Amino acid sequence: MTQSPKQGDPNRPGNPAESGVSREGRTTKQLKSAVEAAAFQKEWFKNTRQRLSDGEPFVLANADTPHEIFLAMDIPVVMTQWWSAIISAKRLSPVYFDLMNERGYQRGLCRYCALPLACAMDHNPERAPWGGLPSPTLVLARLTCDALTKVFERLAREYKATFFPLEHTAPTSSYPRWWEGIKEHWDDIIEPHRLDLMVEELKALIRFLEVTTGKTFSHARLMDIMELINQQEEYYKKTRDLIAATVPCPVSLTDQIAGTMNAQWHRGTPWGLQNARMFYEEVKERVEKGDVACKNEKARLMWIGPGLWHNTAFYRHFEETYGAVFVCSIYLSLAADGYARDFSGNPLRALASRHVSITEFMYHRDWLLKEAKLHGVRGAVIIVSKSCVRPVGGAVGWKFVQMAFEAAGIPVLPIYSDVVDAREWNDAEVTAEVSRFIEEKVLARAEA
Amino acid sequence: MDPLETMKRHYQRRDLAARAWKERGGKVVGYVGDEVPEEMIRAAGFFPFRISGDPWDGTEEADRYTEPFYDPSVRSMLNMLLTGRYDFLDFLVVPHSSDAVLRLYYHLRDIQQMDSALKLPDLHLFDILHTRFWMTGLYIRDRVREFKKKLEAWSGKELSKEALSQAIAVGNENKNLLMKVSDLREADPSLLSGVDALQVIGSSMVMPKEEHNTLLRQFLSEGKRVLGDPPMLFVEGSSIDNLQFYELVESCGATIVAESHDWGNRSFDDPVDPTLDPLEAIAERYHLRSPSPRMHSIGRRVAYTVERAVRAKSRGAIFFFLEWDSAPAWDYPDQKKALEEKGIPTLCFETQKYLLSDADKTQMKTKIKQWLETISRPCGK
Repeated sequence: MTQSPKQGDPNRPGNPAESGVSREGRTTKQLKSAVEAAAFQKEWFKNTRQRLSDGEPFVLANADTPHEIFLAMDIPVVMTQWWSAIISAKRLSPVYFDLMNERGYQRGLCRYCALPLACAMDHNPERAPWGGLPSPTLVLARLTCDALTKVFERLAREYKATFFPLEHTAPTSSYPRWWEGIKEHWDDIIEPHRLDLMVEELKALIRFLEVTTGKTFSHARLMDIMELINQQEEYYKKTRDLIAATVPCPVSLTDQIAGTMNAQWHRGTPWGLQNARMFYEEVKERVEKGDVACKNEKARLMWIGPGLWHNTAFYRHFEETYGAVFVCSIYLSLAADGYARDFSGNPLRALASRHVSITEFMYHRDWLLKEAKLHGVRGAVIIVSKSCVRPVGGAVGWKFVQMAFEAAGIPVLPIYSDVVDAREWNDAEVTAEVSRFIEEKVLARAEA
Repeated sequence: MDPLETMKRHYQRRDLAARAWKERGGKVVGYVGDEVPEEMIRAAGFFPFRISGDPWDGTEEADRYTEPFYDPSVRSMLNMLLTGRYDFLDFLVVPHSSDAVLRLYYHLRDIQQMDSALKLPDLHLFDILHTRFWMTGLYIRDRVREFKKKLEAWSGKELSKEALSQAIAVGNENKNLLMKVSDLREADPSLLSGVDALQVIGSSMVMPKEEHNTLLRQFLSEGKRVLGDPPMLFVEGSSIDNLQFYELVESCGATIVAESHDWGNRSFDDPVDPTLDPLEAIAERYHLRSPSPRMHSIGRRVAYTVERAVRAKSRGAIFFFLEWDSAPAWDYPDQKKALEEKGIPTLCFETQKYLLSDADKTQMKTKIKQWLETISRPCGK
């Protein structure tokens, strides 16, 4: 497939939903599974829009909420972070954020979760990606930071939807080596009081949906969904292990993220499982054939934090210039380690256990270090968004990750930018900064 | 000594009473913010001490673990804890009252694990949540019970219902007396400056409550001097744990008569219901109390701000937002609109430094003076 990258073209690279072409216009190797996933997502969105015109319920939810509930009730749902990535990849985030600032919202406020709100405030489907988001009837968020209740309350007001908040209880455990037993022993690892509340909240959500939509929640369907998810995530585990063990790296980070995330938004469906299998088989085939992301691989790097949605072609420069390949990120790694649950007898509680600690697991420094070692990385880049308080991707907590990595001999570079707000991105400056890091901390150390 | 001067002294030397208590062999339980049931700490026989940051203190130690873009008052607290400024604390209770405060708990826990030689108080996380749902209330009720057990473990004795009722009564009296102080501020013309009020209120969080009540009764019984007729202002935004901003505003010829932050009037809203079971009443009070700028809905925040600003007969409202404390700013556009609809003009200072420089102050002073000139006299005055 050859095509020219155009700003605003929904098929431009970098978007987890989109195909990959570098910003220089070169064609890059593409996984068929990722391309198929992008096409599926687009088609799904189109069909959903059509279906919603008949007055069907529709949910806009934050990514760390259990969308399995909606799947079990056949209610379409999209994730705010996915929508943020689409808007950002279309280079529309500056327009929307400027608009929000003009309406009295200060520039320093959080962006990743707020971009859908900024877009909604525009009320201009012609400008919005893919004709804009259909109006949700329900918006859902776990209250994982100071501002989320405010962002979603405003979002609900903009769409005249109902806001259903889920509490975020604070962990008292530090979840040591959680990844070793979470699938089987989640009920021992996660504090019972946290699970109890989330289960009660999910029951309340289900009843609310039943009352307001006339649909009935299917317990049997939830069990089926949970089983499909376990199978799907098992493929991610095998894919992650294959990528980690293969040098040079068989798949670029952009492809890894695209190959994982679109199907993750559809986890629990036969299509999600089929796409994860296809992703694995494709990677396996590439490994067997010796296909690589970068022929000149000299050093492996880790990307910590959310994807750089407004510029995911960013990673390619370092492959071409230094043979420095970003080989892992939270996306495939968390799919591999964090989602599967043995659920016999209690799928709802198992589901709660998947979501109640997802943030803590995703930015757990020992787990990140484990992944770094597994992938044989020689350096890590952490994206730090000053406006987001999440533990690593945000402003608070990444120094502990840096300390743990550096104690293990892995240098870490923090870069300060926002993953969806292109106004804060200076490509030349950040490229120079990462280049210096690779030259001085990664390659120099490797040569020594 | 003059009661006002005594309270000011305790506000300015916040560790005075706690260190004296400690010297007498008592134990001190520090807490962060105003979402920890301090009544329970008193009932358990401890001295409850609300910790704060210090804009004039450095942040070098904290900077080893945190970035500069982190609520500066909490970063300062971390620094003070790491450098021994709070070495008199035996225990520290950290509530889930904001992202930064919650991180403070995890940072302290992690730092302690990394450096066991570092002397830090024993920690307890009080996981208070912020929606008004019944289910959330039950969760908080369980956390209150858990906290009771923790206090009992720390003290080695049972926390009795009687002791708790007594602590609630003393705390409620303090709240009622502070409400009378608030009336002095809201009198037209005002009888107490915002700078003095902040010290009166703040000292209640670092002194024994009975002693503070005695001082308040003395203070309230004294005659008050009318402050003149400066414009009466309401302050909204970030929590303000020092006098810089109030001194600056009042030096421009205005009086701050009310505010919504938790070092001011909001700290004594909502007495604990003495007719209920004391533990249940505490759980309910901390669950359903007036909304803080973080984690609470915009709708509730707007209603609260407008009601308080109107009740205080404010002629204007000034928003003061600290840098890296962005959650309160999400409320701002709606608060501004609602206040202005009530005829209360607004002025906003965004992303302000915790320690205001002389240049900051000069710039702010100019803006405040210009704005005050635009505020018209109220009808009938």
